[in-house]
Amino acid sequence: MVVRDRRTDADLAVDLCGLPLRTPLMPASGTLSREALGEVEGVYGAMLPKTTTPVARAGNPPPRVAETPAGMVNSIGLQNPGVERFLRDLDAFDLGVPLFVSVAGDTVAEFAELCERLAADDRISAVELNLSCPNVECGGLAFCAGPASVEEVVAACRAAVPNKRILAKLTNEGVVENARAAESAGADGLTVINTIPALTIDPKTQKVLVRGGLSGPAIKPVALRAVYDVSGAVSVPVVGSGGVTSGTDVAEFMLAGATAVQVGTASFVRDPQEIHSEFAAYLRERGQEAAELTGALRGVRPTVAGGTEV
Amino acid sequence: MKFYEVKIEERKVLGSYSLLRYRWRGTVEPGQFVMVRTAGYPVSLDPFLARPFSFYDHDGETASLLFEVRGRGTANLDLATTIEVTNPLGKGFRIEPGLGRAALLGGGIGVAPLKILARHLDALDLTYDVFLGFADERSSVVAREFPGAEVATMDGTVGTLGTVLDTGVALQDYGAVYSCGPNPMLAAVRLAAGDGVVCQLSVEERMGCGNGSCNGCVVPVRGGYVRSCIEGPVFDAEALAW
Repeated sequence: MVVRDRRTDADLAVDLCGLPLRTPLMPASGTLSREALGEVEGVYGAMLPKTTTPVARAGNPPPRVAETPAGMVNSIGLQNPGVERFLRDLDAFDLGVPLFVSVAGDTVAEFAELCERLAADDRISAVELNLSCPNVECGGLAFCAGPASVEEVVAACRAAVPNKRILAKLTNEGVVENARAAESAGADGLTVINTIPALTIDPKTQKVLVRGGLSGPAIKPVALRAVYDVSGAVSVPVVGSGGVTSGTDVAEFMLAGATAVQVGTASFVRDPQEIHSEFAAYLRERGQEAAELTGALRGVRPTVAGGTEV
Repeated sequence: MKFYEVKIEERKVLGSYSLLRYRWRGTVEPGQFVMVRTAGYPVSLDPFLARPFSFYDHDGETASLLFEVRGRGTANLDLATTIEVTNPLGKGFRIEPGLGRAALLGGGIGVAPLKILARHLDALDLTYDVFLGFADERSSVVAREFPGAEVATMDGTVGTLGTVLDTGVALQDYGAVYSCGPNPMLAAVRLAAGDGVVCQLSVEERMGCGNGSCNGCVVPVRGGYVRSCIEGPVFDAEALAW
């Protein structure tokens, strides 16, 4: 008989801006297809499908992905069938955990319209504003540009969707200022960080291979630093994202200040179940609960040379 | 994506290509592929992504893969004693009995899925001819695994000088055409086959994940892009908007 360790799941539970999550793990937007959902049962505390936009987008022409050491550069271009079709097919992503929806628009008005559309849908618990996709030229607005535009778009979305949680997903550049702006405009939480602008070149053809965003273990230290700095600067919860590949990576992001953690590129090369089991084993070995890790380093002076005091 | 560690049962050099055989008892459809890599902890960091390979053969007990060493990922695989593989992935060739004689056309490493396809056609007592094109003599060595195949090489050292279509194959005379090779070759095969023939093409694209998640391996179809790992890698020729 297998004796089930009751701690395995119970101790993974966290509270993310008032939403109880069974585990602190969730997919990063755009990294989990409908076809792969069978692989992640029991792993995630929230579900987060690929970013949706007001109308369908064909995405960028191939090549769209290029491998790099410990990571990959992608330029997908937000390929998606548009919000109406997305909502028709959304039930496929009902895994019995809170459903988060990632949205992107070219203008403040588009973001607000999307939020208004989602506000009427009872299946959705939270909206993640993709303010930082490096692969889409911003139409009316450069969202990555700075706190003023972040504040404007978050405020518009806050008004459009008063009944659900809002997470603002931020890029690494200027992340602390943008985080403060998103918080003051009414974001319930922040996702930190998106992929980092990057370029790959094919030396054989002497052409650009992919100009897009870098993800994977290569960006983990950068993302950790962003989570650490942001969580020290705002009081809303932070969802850590960027290179999480193992159970100890999850722990590190939570220690740095994250309340929940997204798994993205790692799910292309690993079974997310393994990351879940490793994290559960890590907690079990140390007799800790997931929630106690969050912010455990807050106020602790960095000891590594070159570290910046918070 | 879930990977399974498997032991290499046999390794063979076929000219410029390598063949690896491993035990795999599950079902494999001709034209399906696997993501393959060498082990690392918790994953290999460099090279970071697994490589997509079409199945070369599967006899119910062991599966084999044919590949060309092109970079570090394939160089590592060429030396490995154990590798990590996913389940068979993607949509393979749709075999329709009653179409008449089939033509199988392979270009370079694109010969790989034709071996397992031929096995399945044999099992159904369906008749076919094989036409293979290679760059040179060394890459054409694998042709000996296809008895009776017509061969062409770009440098004329083996068989007809030119591409696989220069072998003189008249595709309109066949009931079905199955092909795998570089995309320009597949486009030429589609053109040569015309509209009256069932034509299925196995495309080669860069892949990130293999399970439909990254949207990296897309091919153009009417109305947009579809993923070659889920909707393919085998497509009806008329579906592709090349």
